[in-house]
Amino acid sequence: MIEVKNLTKTLPNGRKVLDNISFKVKKGEFVGILGPSGAGKTLTLRCLNGLLKPDSGEVIVQDALGNRHDICKVNKKELRHLRQRIGVIFQGYHLVKRLTVLENVMIGRLGQISPLRSLIYGFTDEEAAQAIKALEQVKIADLAGTQTGNLSGGEMQRVAIARAIFQSPTLLIADEPISNLDPSNAKIIMKMIRPLSEKIPVVGVFHQPEMTAKYCSRVIAIKEGKIFYDGDPKLSNKKLAEIYGEELSVIEQQEQIYYPFNN
Amino acid sequence: MMLKGYSLKRYRKYLLPFIALLVVTEGASIVCHADFTSLWTGIVKGLEFITFMFPPDWSAFPEMIQPAFQSVLIAFLGSVFGTLLAIVFAVFASSNLVHPLIRNITRFLIGFERSLPEIIQLLLLIAAFGLGQMAGIIALALGCVGMLGKLIADAIEELDPVMLESISSVGANKMQIIVFGVLPQIIPNLISYALFRFEINIRLSVILGAVGAGGIGYQLDYSFGMLQYHKAFTAMIVIMVMIFATEHLSQLLRNKIKMEGALK
Repeated sequence: MIEVKNLTKTLPNGRKVLDNISFKVKKGEFVGILGPSGAGKTLTLRCLNGLLKPDSGEVIVQDALGNRHDICKVNKKELRHLRQRIGVIFQGYHLVKRLTVLENVMIGRLGQISPLRSLIYGFTDEEAAQAIKALEQVKIADLAGTQTGNLSGGEMQRVAIARAIFQSPTLLIADEPISNLDPSNAKIIMKMIRPLSEKIPVVGVFHQPEMTAKYCSRVIAIKEGKIFYDGDPKLSNKKLAEIYGEELSVIEQQEQIYYPFNN
Repeated sequence: MMLKGYSLKRYRKYLLPFIALLVVTEGASIVCHADFTSLWTGIVKGLEFITFMFPPDWSAFPEMIQPAFQSVLIAFLGSVFGTLLAIVFAVFASSNLVHPLIRNITRFLIGFERSLPEIIQLLLLIAAFGLGQMAGIIALALGCVGMLGKLIADAIEELDPVMLESISSVGANKMQIIVFGVLPQIIPNLISYALFRFEINIRLSVILGAVGAGGIGYQLDYSFGMLQYHKAFTAMIVIMVMIFATEHLSQLLRNKIKMEGALK
């Protein structure tokens, strides 16, 4: 379980980017965070694993032993310890492109094995077998020995998911995991992430309301740094227009003028 | 349409800078005693000297082989130690790995090294280590740090920040981030820079040899000093062949790396 309480963050220029954000995500939930660009979605997500420190508020996460910690108030060493069990899926393009697929998956355990052993890429046979298993789960085990830079966008995103699975996390965070993918690859990735939420809480930032409606169990909408909506993932068109602002409907009307063949 | 001002008058704005350049050049030539008569006598004397050096003393060729290898080895050792040292300096000179203050201090040290020519460094090192190859190796290694340190640090700073963040987000420490995120990504650049520096070091090792670091440069200097001009000519030929061969070998390797390690 992860609990976020009253997160607040103000930029040096006085703009309030996070304003009293609170929510809880339990095991079995797949929460999609929606909202217009610059609303504070990614900032909220970055607070969840300590990449960003809020001005005030708490983020309570569990470590491997089930103890609860406020990730905003731990020191560097404790933060590394907590991060061992927080899986983060960034966009796949941010993998280490000159390492092999298998090595990129192995990176998931760096926090958990002895640092000296890791410095010579000294992973055990058992760890390698588990990494292959994680790759099997995302159906690219046959690419294990390929240099990651040679993969397609969809395949790279699967490697990122395999890394998170291999980490055996107690919380999974995904930052726009399908933004750069074509619709069919996006669906495949969503189908791979959803079952993970049966065992651990999953929180992701998305730009596609139709995807969150289909795959998420709950949607949180953030607008201008505040929580605007929290509940059922199926949003009405009216609600969506409220979330993304009036500009959306104006643009959609314009699009009909530009593409007369749609009628 | 009439073209306005399209006459020779358009050159007017260049006239003043041109005259200024002429005046400064003439003034500098007077100060430095550069004139055409001494250039002419110099050329005549030089040609005489070259005919005097001819033919090369091929019997001295065997005794040139060992010093030539010595020069190559000095350059090689200087490049290897220098590259290793440069990696360490580069890590501390990258804003995405260390505190900005440490980065700026290291960058200053690297820049300071570059501002001292290798020969001056060698003269200082000879005072510490005495005449010989050790001083030469250290001078070349330090030269590597000045050049490669900056190039590698720039390569590190250009790495994808989210990629590094994604490694630290699994709880990895700095050392692990460097080994898994930084080194694999910069290795093609690193080898290519190191080979390029090796080419420079070969030339430098000849020059440093003449100043006192041993090798073929010393042979050349010594032969000139003993007025054995035919022998000196042999040394010059050996040096040319040596530089030509190593440069081509290094370029061959660098092209191979470029083909295989294209930016990904």
